[in-house]
Amino acid sequence: MLLQLKNIFKWVNSGGQRIFLLKDVNLEVSEGEFISIMGPSGSGKSTLLNVIGMLDGFDEGEYHFLDESVHSLKEKHRSNLYKEYIGFVFQSYHLLDDLTVKENLEMPLLYKKYGSSERKAKVADMLDRFNIVGKKDLFPAQLSGGQQQLVGIARALISNPKLILADEPTGNLNSKQGEEIMELFKKLNDEGVTIIQVTHSEKNAAYGSRIINLLDGRMV
Amino acid sequence: MFKNYLKIAVRSISKNKTYSFINIGGLALGLTVAMLIGLWIHDEKTFNTNFKNHDHIAQVLVNKTNNGEIRTRFTLPYPLAAELRSVYAGDFKYVVMSSFPGDNVLSFKEKNQNQYGAYMEKDALRLFSFTMLKGNHNALNDPNAIVLSASAANALFGNEEPIGKTMRLNDNFVVTVKGVFEDLPTNANVFEPLAAFSESKKLDFIAPWDLYVSMYEWVKTARDRKLWDNNSYQVYVAVSNQSTIEAVSHKIKNTLYDHVPDETKRSNPEIFLHPMKDWHLKSSFKNGLSYGGAIQYVRMFGIIGVFVLLLACINFMNLSTARSQKRAKEVGIRKTVGSNKNQLIEQFLFESLLVTCCAFAIACTLVVLLLPLFNQLADKQILFPYANPLFWCIGLGLISVTSLLAGSYPALYLSSFRPVRVLKGTIQAGKSAVSFRKVLVVVQFIVSIILVSGTMVVNQQIQHSKNRPIGYNKNGLIMIEKTTEAFEGKYNVLREAFKKSGAVAEMAESSNPMTEVWNSNGGYDWEGKNPDFITNIVNFYVSHDYGKTVGWEVKFGRNFSRDLASDSTAYILNEAAVEYMGLQDPVDKTIRWYDGEHKVIGVVKNMLTESPFEPVKQAIYSINYNETNWINLKLSPEKSITQSLEKIETEFAIFAPSIPFEFQFVDNAFGHKFKAEERMRKLSGIFSVLAIFISCLGLFGLSTFMAERRTKEIGIRKVLGASIMSLFKMLSRDFVLLVLFSGLIAIPVAYYVMQQWLENYTYHISIPWWVFGVAILSVMFIALFTISYQAARAAIVNPVKSLRTQ
Repeated sequence: MLLQLKNIFKWVNSGGQRIFLLKDVNLEVSEGEFISIMGPSGSGKSTLLNVIGMLDGFDEGEYHFLDESVHSLKEKHRSNLYKEYIGFVFQSYHLLDDLTVKENLEMPLLYKKYGSSERKAKVADMLDRFNIVGKKDLFPAQLSGGQQQLVGIARALISNPKLILADEPTGNLNSKQGEEIMELFKKLNDEGVTIIQVTHSEKNAAYGSRIINLLDGRMV
Repeated sequence: MFKNYLKIAVRSISKNKTYSFINIGGLALGLTVAMLIGLWIHDEKTFNTNFKNHDHIAQVLVNKTNNGEIRTRFTLPYPLAAELRSVYAGDFKYVVMSSFPGDNVLSFKEKNQNQYGAYMEKDALRLFSFTMLKGNHNALNDPNAIVLSASAANALFGNEEPIGKTMRLNDNFVVTVKGVFEDLPTNANVFEPLAAFSESKKLDFIAPWDLYVSMYEWVKTARDRKLWDNNSYQVYVAVSNQSTIEAVSHKIKNTLYDHVPDETKRSNPEIFLHPMKDWHLKSSFKNGLSYGGAIQYVRMFGIIGVFVLLLACINFMNLSTARSQKRAKEVGIRKTVGSNKNQLIEQFLFESLLVTCCAFAIACTLVVLLLPLFNQLADKQILFPYANPLFWCIGLGLISVTSLLAGSYPALYLSSFRPVRVLKGTIQAGKSAVSFRKVLVVVQFIVSIILVSGTMVVNQQIQHSKNRPIGYNKNGLIMIEKTTEAFEGKYNVLREAFKKSGAVAEMAESSNPMTEVWNSNGGYDWEGKNPDFITNIVNFYVSHDYGKTVGWEVKFGRNFSRDLASDSTAYILNEAAVEYMGLQDPVDKTIRWYDGEHKVIGVVKNMLTESPFEPVKQAIYSINYNETNWINLKLSPEKSITQSLEKIETEFAIFAPSIPFEFQFVDNAFGHKFKAEERMRKLSGIFSVLAIFISCLGLFGLSTFMAERRTKEIGIRKVLGASIMSLFKMLSRDFVLLVLFSGLIAIPVAYYVMQQWLENYTYHISIPWWVFGVAILSVMFIALFTISYQAARAAIVNPVKSLRTQ
């Protein structure tokens, strides 16, 4: 088992009232799964994804990732954990505008202190795999949305994470580009990468092996 | 990793050209100012430190109390030096008596040159430890020797060997060159500003004391008769290695008092030692105590330099954080792909360091380029200290401190962003960031307003003093110093010749130049004088035509007349003297001095001959053709100045063929009195402009930030129907309030500081209130102009666009 959420609660206090963002969420994810989280706006999809990605905390409950108890880990340890095992893909790609495609791909490796030659090999491999070798020296602004998202995914994958978290990865793309991205996810999943995506679209959700529906922070 | 940082930094710098230009340019400007001021302060602070023994060298000064007022003087009687030497032999290494420095004519073959120097006792070279290029420290032992500076030797002899050459001094005395000393650095002088009457010139020669004694009868008299109450000499000392100047100073204080005649004892003369390190920086005395001098300017500009640098750093911070919105996204991304907080801090500090290094490099270039101009302005000869390791150490320190100061806030602030929140766009730089920035801007404007109003006050003070009535007519008036005997007894012939040439309307001679006072005397008595009142009155020995030449204004009585023989003992007083003596109806009153009785024949309006910032001193004018040192010429208004000067030079050459023709326009000499103040005005003017400029950069950053922050608000307001004008007003109002608030704090500070400065001058303005109004309004106007760009841009933008990006 890759991760397990047990009775997760998350809330904010607003005007003396407690508003629940997540309410008693229980979830087990095994390696190799492809999960789609669905639900209306404000149902807590992204919050759940951020909690899984350890970018956001929670107020109650237990979270086990591999053999670690995330809820009892220190901030630093926690961030080491997600750096090691999780890759993020965002709706608006979030590439660094001042870096080229190649340099954007290289960045996670720099933070992991890979040597120069190893970085080069990995970047070249990734460029090759995603068929964007010709674009390696372009800046994000010179790419189409679909291509940018491709780079975003490549960047998420470059340090071999066990889990990819994608927050509406096709939200800013047209339907054709979206389809290509979903096909890619499918392919990655087949190769063994675990994927959790948040989506509004039934069609995209269908790519997954399991669908989780959220309503007002509760799994239904 | 650093390569990656470097890449990002360089790209973001080159991508945002305006922003980078403002940021780097602003910092470079601040650093330039700080460096220039730093170099200047270093130059001032190291004044005279070139003398090896400088912490043991001092000049003997004397405090005298007359009618309750203590005055500090540097003129001492002849026997004092010998007395100090014999009685306190163990405390002094050297005691050297010196004449007052002045221009003397040095002639070799056909060359005649005016060179500045003094006559000193033989230990002078050892006392000051001059670096001898030729000859040695014994060179002054021979009474017919002369020691020249390297540049004077070069000017006289060119490439010829100077040692052993005989030359003429003041056309009358034959001297032999026995030594050549290395030119003194520009920030060194063996004469205090106090002793070097006008502006200090470079020392060109030293001649032996014995020669001085043989040159002048009155010096010989003073020596032979051991005159303790004739004060015409200065004394320099080097205290022995075991003693300190303070200790010796205390020990010797009564030496003069013990020897002077009883009459002089009443003024309680107390001598003390003025250390060499204070000659330049602390040369002014009030009530017998050193109270300032150049040190005041050193402090003032030091503070300004720190402030300007601070302003530039504040800006750097301000502008860096203003763009935090943009950088926040980068922080978020970097954090999610694996950066930790320390790495981000590292990155931002590295960027800050990079920008600071760029700014430092630009600043160094600017300093090199601006130094000639700055030297001219500050009257210095400062060189860029390429080879000085201390400079580079300080530079390195400055870079680290500046980059830390400027980079720490953005680094710590940005790196603490939580990635989810920035990436979701929910983060808004909080209220604290805005108020922090407001504080920064207020500080900048306080400094700007202080500088602007300060500059205006200095300007007012100079104008006020320049417009002061001077009591004579300086137009077309020139003065020539009689450096030799060549003119003695030829007054009438010379006057006739000059007048006949048509170039000169009138000529007269006087003991004092028009712009200085050289002698004053005590011991006057008149009817109704309080017997306890100790008198001290300035003396002008003049020729008959003096009044007509300088154009003084006779208030009562009449001018000197050649037709009345009795006028040779008559006195003319100035208004200040009448008031000083408390005379009613002064004309025809009698004043007694040790040489007899003198009738007052006239009163003239006060002539401004000393500081334009001090009241005119009581003065007596009397006829004496033997004591005159200066020829005053009123140029004929019918000829052009160049024509007149040519004619005068021709006549001059006939009478004194071996004397170089050198003259001063009284107008110019008078203008020199404002030199320090003019310099202060120029420098503070420049610094004000720079401070305002740098502050405006900061304001620009703040307005950019505010406009960005309020994009959504502006969009909503527009959708709801706000006009562009009303939005513009809304955005500008805050800044106007900030400037007004700064003014509120700046006014009392500026008022206090400027009042302190004005206290240095007896004759000063009271600070007019409109100065502050003008300062605030002009700063406000410039501020409004600066923000209008951002405000207008934010107000004009299409709300659909601004709301969509939220």
